[in-house]
Amino acid sequence: MLRKEQNDLLTQTGPGTPMGRMFRLSWQPALLASELPENECPPVRVKLLSERLLAWRDTQGRYALTDEFCAHRGVSLWFGRNEENGLRCPYHGWKYDHTGQCIEVPSEPTESGFCKKIKLKSYPLVERGGVLWTYMGPPEQQPPLPEWEFAVVPADRSFTSKRLQESNWLQAMEGGIDSSHVSFLHSGELDKDPLFKGSKGNRYNMGDKKPVFEVVESPGGLYIGARRNAENGHYYWRVTQYVMPAFTMIPPRADHPVHGHFWVPIDDENCWAWSFDYKVTRPLSAHELESMQAGKGIHNEYVPGTFRPRQNKDNDYLIDRAAQKRGDTYSGVYGIAMQDASLQESMGPIVDRAKENLVSTDNGIIMARHRLLRALKAMEKGETPPGIALEHQRCRSAAVVLPPDQPFKEAAKEALVVQTGKEHATV
Amino acid sequence: MQSESARMSSATEARFRIDAPNSLPRAVKVIALDPPSERVVKTLAQRQWSRATFFTASAFGSAPKAGESFAGWLSDIAGRTKNLVEEVNGADLVVMVAAAGESAGAASIIGEACSLKRVMTTGLILGGADKSDEALGKTLSQLRPWALMLVVASAEEYVEDMLRALRA
Repeated sequence: MLRKEQNDLLTQTGPGTPMGRMFRLSWQPALLASELPENECPPVRVKLLSERLLAWRDTQGRYALTDEFCAHRGVSLWFGRNEENGLRCPYHGWKYDHTGQCIEVPSEPTESGFCKKIKLKSYPLVERGGVLWTYMGPPEQQPPLPEWEFAVVPADRSFTSKRLQESNWLQAMEGGIDSSHVSFLHSGELDKDPLFKGSKGNRYNMGDKKPVFEVVESPGGLYIGARRNAENGHYYWRVTQYVMPAFTMIPPRADHPVHGHFWVPIDDENCWAWSFDYKVTRPLSAHELESMQAGKGIHNEYVPGTFRPRQNKDNDYLIDRAAQKRGDTYSGVYGIAMQDASLQESMGPIVDRAKENLVSTDNGIIMARHRLLRALKAMEKGETPPGIALEHQRCRSAAVVLPPDQPFKEAAKEALVVQTGKEHATV
Repeated sequence: MQSESARMSSATEARFRIDAPNSLPRAVKVIALDPPSERVVKTLAQRQWSRATFFTASAFGSAPKAGESFAGWLSDIAGRTKNLVEEVNGADLVVMVAAAGESAGAASIIGEACSLKRVMTTGLILGGADKSDEALGKTLSQLRPWALMLVVASAEEYVEDMLRALRA
């Protein structure tokens, strides 16, 4: 459980909040590069950390992320005309450049220089790995560009999607490090989903539904190791990575692409679930790409023209009680992503953690909260939170079989960091 | 018409969650396995808890010899001897606290008692970041067979945070 004030501290990410400040100190995925496909394309509304913004791409291909609203009368610039190196408000013709600087106020004499006094709030927006990243913190604390491995491998080796999740970011992220739910909620998918099936590790998973967990602090966050019995007295370990504040990486299975998530607050009641899949040494196969685009694995199908999942709360996630009874799916909801999202959204927009009853196997979640709260305190004293340093981002999840007496952090040391030109350690 | 899920997962409906206790207090026994963790556990014992009680096994490195009982094997924080089996009998969870690099030999005795009584065990190793991998490995290998959940934490405050999170 968390006391209300602790829950508020971790779940509120708007401007001026401590948790919002932590998010603002690192680069966050803002939108897919494909959402701004060409110069002078239509602008896209982006809400991040409770700030209404507008992403656009000017005549020269420069990306912009600016306040959504015109400084004149508060009109949404989503209606703007993207033309000649600027975005022009259609109401009275005020025009802004990619930094948010007003460059034209037609009703004022040009010589007056009035437009120089008008500037919209703007944030840097840069493309990396098919994702447009933004940094919303103090300019003097802007870190180097992100180096998450999925974002720096060649483009044909990586696939990223995003979906709207109608809940606070924390309950979504906590699902990403809650390893003990996999053997239940996703049990119907492990041997069916094209991006999961066929792994020897799945047999260990299904053969031992009560894994033993070890939670170990890492420089950037946590390693959450789930241990199951393997052959000859050895242990099969699945080590999940959590890097603060909102990155999780799932351990690999066989030669399947490795996947993970970012859980980025839109506001306090909604978040973007970013889902990536990648390989290090080979392009994704046509079959893998088709599966991801079709919403398999950790991806999902959409309501056409939106990033809202096709299965959503308005259609009860298309729950199939007969399939639940037959055991085709454990919860009656199809697909790994929506199995998670349906339950996390059912908690309500911001779950009241004062009512929960955590158990010992929830120590991954308890430690993640502990580290976040600790980092918030340290941040107030001027310390940089974990997860910002590039070496914290050069991490990997791993699936390994190890002798029984070795700390996985030590025995799998190489497997838990990026190894250039080598694939993830997997079973 | 709005779907059941859309209606019931709204903030408005969240306000109607029943505001009544949904669990009984859990009996949590927190046992320090070595002198450094005994210091941590003693400090914790002075705070307000629901049903957490605090012990030390740091003076007992090994199992009672043949003919001896577990009656005086454990001590509470005041130094009174306690019967391990009786304490485990009344526990929902046993938390064993060890310092990295120290001997956690008592874990096997406690763990075996918990295993017999099917009581959940958690091992907490403190100070893992400051010790060598070898030192950590030594403590880890003694705790691992007997802890169904194992945490390596750098900050002592984690013990309290974990116990509060578990409503101890």
